[in-house]
Amino acid sequence: MEQLVLDDVRLTYRRPLDDSEFLALDAVSLAVAEGEFVAIVGPSGCGKSTLLLLINGLLHPTSGRILLNGRPVAAPGPDRALVFQEFALLPWRTVLHNVELGLEVIRKPAAARRELARENLRRVGLSAFERYYPHQLSGGMRQRVGIARALAVGPEVLLMDEPFGALDAQTRQIMGAELLRIWERDRKTILFVTHDIDESIYLADRVVVMSANPGRVLEVLPITLPRPRDFEARNSPAFVEYRRRIWERLEQEVRKSLAWQFSEVAGE
Amino acid sequence: MSSDAVGPAAAGIQAPARPASARLALALRRHRRGLLGTASVVVFLLVWQLVGSHSAVSADLISYPTQVLATAAQMTASGELGGAALVSLQEFVYGFVPAVVLGIALGLAMGRFRRVRYLLDPLIMAFYTAPRIALIPLLVIWFGVGMESKVAVVFLGAVFPVLVNTVAGVEQIDPLWVRAVRSFGAGEWQVVTKVVMPGALPAVMAGVRLGLGRAIIGVIVGEMYVAVAGVGRLVQVYSGAGRAAELVVLVVVTAAFGFVSITALRLIEERIAPWRRELEV
Amino acid sequence: MAARAGSLGAPPGLRLRRVYLRHEAAILGVLGLAGFTALWELAGRLGWINPVVLSSPSRVGDALLRQARSGELPRDLQVTAVEFVVGFGIAVALGVAIGVLMGLYQDVEFSLDPFIWFLYAAPLVAFYPLIIVWLGFGFWTVVAITVFLTAIPIAVNTLAGIRSVDPLLVRAVRSFGGSTADVVTKVLLPASLPLVLAGLRIGIGRALIGVILGEMFSANAGLGFRMTYYGARLRTTDVLVPMLVIVVFGVVATQLVRLLETRLARWRET
Repeated sequence: MEQLVLDDVRLTYRRPLDDSEFLALDAVSLAVAEGEFVAIVGPSGCGKSTLLLLINGLLHPTSGRILLNGRPVAAPGPDRALVFQEFALLPWRTVLHNVELGLEVIRKPAAARRELARENLRRVGLSAFERYYPHQLSGGMRQRVGIARALAVGPEVLLMDEPFGALDAQTRQIMGAELLRIWERDRKTILFVTHDIDESIYLADRVVVMSANPGRVLEVLPITLPRPRDFEARNSPAFVEYRRRIWERLEQEVRKSLAWQFSEVAGE
Repeated sequence: MSSDAVGPAAAGIQAPARPASARLALALRRHRRGLLGTASVVVFLLVWQLVGSHSAVSADLISYPTQVLATAAQMTASGELGGAALVSLQEFVYGFVPAVVLGIALGLAMGRFRRVRYLLDPLIMAFYTAPRIALIPLLVIWFGVGMESKVAVVFLGAVFPVLVNTVAGVEQIDPLWVRAVRSFGAGEWQVVTKVVMPGALPAVMAGVRLGLGRAIIGVIVGEMYVAVAGVGRLVQVYSGAGRAAELVVLVVVTAAFGFVSITALRLIEERIAPWRRELEV
Repeated sequence: MAARAGSLGAPPGLRLRRVYLRHEAAILGVLGLAGFTALWELAGRLGWINPVVLSSPSRVGDALLRQARSGELPRDLQVTAVEFVVGFGIAVALGVAIGVLMGLYQDVEFSLDPFIWFLYAAPLVAFYPLIIVWLGFGFWTVVAITVFLTAIPIAVNTLAGIRSVDPLLVRAVRSFGGSTADVVTKVLLPASLPLVLAGLRIGIGRALIGVILGEMFSANAGLGFRMTYYGARLRTTDVLVPMLVIVVFGVVATQLVRLLETRLARWRET
C-alpha cells in the first residue's frame, strides 16, 4: 500500500490580466512508499515547488487526485508538513517559540508543546539556542529550526522545498549529511525538491526527473547506493554514473526552460 | 583631544593620545557625549540666569532659572497648575485612547481588505495631511466650548497617524510568514493572531508615538483657542499678561510631559518589539 | 512553451477588465472621494444633519466663489503663502546647516544633542506664547513660530542622512586631497539627499501647522486668521473655504516633495 499517491495531477493557472490559461503541471503521477526518501529535480519553473504546495493542500489541482494513505488531500495540515527555502521563521518569536508554531495551530496544550518543541530542537542540535531570535542565527541554523518546526507536528510526509537553496555550497553539503542523520532515526517519508543533482543522488532512494514547463515526470531513477552514505559516496563511480544519466535527461529541459523564461519576460 | 572628525568618526583622523595624561584623556573621550551634553546644558542655564536676572526688562522677557523654579513652586502650591494639568490630562486620555483603538482596528481591516483601502485612501490622506489645528474652529462650532471639542481635536489628531501606520505595518508583512502558518492548516483567525498582529506591531507602535505628539499639541492649542480651562487656558492668560516666568513654567511642564511620554513609549517599543524593522510614515 | 490565449483578439469586456485591474487603486480612490462628497451633499439636503452646522459641498462651492471674487480669498492665500515660503525657507536653511554641522563635527553633535532631543520630542506649540511675548503680533511672529517648528525635524533628518553616508566615500574624496567643503558638496549633501528630502516632507506639515497656528492667534490676515474670524461668528460654510484651501495646499506640497524624493532616489536600491 503506497502511502502517498499522485494520480494524473494537473494544474492550470488563470492569468488575471487577460484571463489566459497557464499550464503549470501536466499529468504528474507518482507513488511514494512509506519511509522513502524521494528527491525531485528539474529546471527552474518546472513546477516542482508547486507540486509540494499541492500535496500540502495550499493549492488545489485542476484535475487529478492526491491521496495520503488512501484518503484524498483537501486542505493544509500537519500530516504533510512543509519546510521552506527561505526558512519562513517568524522574526518576532524566539527559536523555541518558532518551533512551537505548528503545534499551536493544531492546538496542542502548552506543556506538550514545550516538550515536543524542545525534543525536536535537540534532534537538530540547537538546544543551546532556544532563546535566540532568528536574526541572530546563521542561514544553516535557521533552516534547522524550520526542520525542527516541521518535525514537531509529527507529519506522515515531510515536504522540503529546496531547503538548502538559500545556503552556500559548503553549508549545503554539511546540512545534507545532517538531514540524513536526523532521517535515519525514524525514517520519515520525505519529498525533497532541489535543483542540485548531486544533492538529490546523495540523499534519495529515488530521484524524480521533471521536464521544463509544463511540468511532467520524465523519469524516475532508483538510487541503489548503500546507506549510511558518507561524503566519500559522492566520489564513487556509481554516483558519477547516476549524475551523468540525470544530467543527460535534464540538460535539454534546462535549455528549454531558459528560452521560455526569456520569452516570458520579453513578451509580457 | 582629536581634531574635528568628518562624518562618522571612523573615517576621520584622530590625534594620538598624549602619554602623560593618557588615562584621563581616554576617560574623557569615552564619555564625551555625556560630558559635552551636560556641559552645554549647564552653560545654557548659567547664561540664561545671568542675562535674565540682569535687569527687570530682561526678567520680564525671558525670566531666569531661579525665578522659574520659584514660580513653579508657587503655581503648584496654589493648585493652579495641578488643576489645569488634570483637565488637560483628562481631555488627552479621553481622546487618545479611543483614537488608538479605532485606528488599529480600522487599520487592520484596511490592511486586510485591499478594496476598502483603495476606497478610503484619498480621504484619509487628505485628513492626515490637513493640519488639524485648522479644524479647531470648526470643532468648536460643532461641539461647543466644553471638554468635548478638545477631546475631538485629540481624537482626530491621533487617529490618523495610528491608522496610516497600522495599514503600512500590515502591508509590509511578508506573505511567506502567512504561507508558513497556513501550511500547518491554520484558519483565518489564527493567521491574524499569529502573523498579522505581531508582524504589524512595530509600525503600529510608531504610529502611536506619532499620534501621541499630535494629541498633545491638539490639547494645548484647543485649550488656547477656547481658553476656558486647562493648561492651554493658562497659557493664554499669562501670554496676554506678558508673564514670561509663568509661561516658561507652562512650557517646561508641557514639554516635559511630551518628552516623558514619548520616551516611555520608546521603551515599551524596545521591550515588546526588539526585532523592529524601521518603518515610519 | 507558455499557453496563452490570443490577447489581440480579446473581447471588449475582457479588455475593460484588464484596464480596471491596472488602475484599480486610482479608480476606487476617486470613487471613494466622489461617494463621500455625494453623501455629504445628500445629508444636508435630506436634512439628516443640520446644514447650518455641517454645511454641504454645494454651499461650500458657492462660498468659495464668493470669497474668491471678493478678493478676500486671494489676499488671504497670498499672505499665508508668503509666510509659509519665508518660514519654510529659513527653516530649511537653518535646519540643514545645523544638521550638516552636527554631522561633520561630533563635538557639535554631542553639545547640541540634549537640546535637539528635547525640542524634537516636546510639543513645540508650547513655546508659542513666549514667542508672542518677544515678538508681539504680526508677520515675523508667524514666521518665527514656523521656523521653530520646522527647523528641528529637518535638522534631525539631515543629521541622520549624513550619518548614513558610507565613510568610504568620504575617504575617497579626501584621498584626492579634497577639503572639507569638497567633502560636503561632493559626497555628504548628495548622498544624504533622500533622508533630507524625507525631513523636508515632514517639515511641510509642520510649517503649515506653524503658519496656521501663528495666524490663528496673532495675525489679522491670512487663511488661518480667516478661519478664526468666521469660526467666532459660527459660520461653518465660510470656515470650510479657507480650510479646504489649506488642505489642498498641504496635499499638493507634500506630493511634490514625494515626487522629488522618488525622482532623486532612483539610484537607491532601498
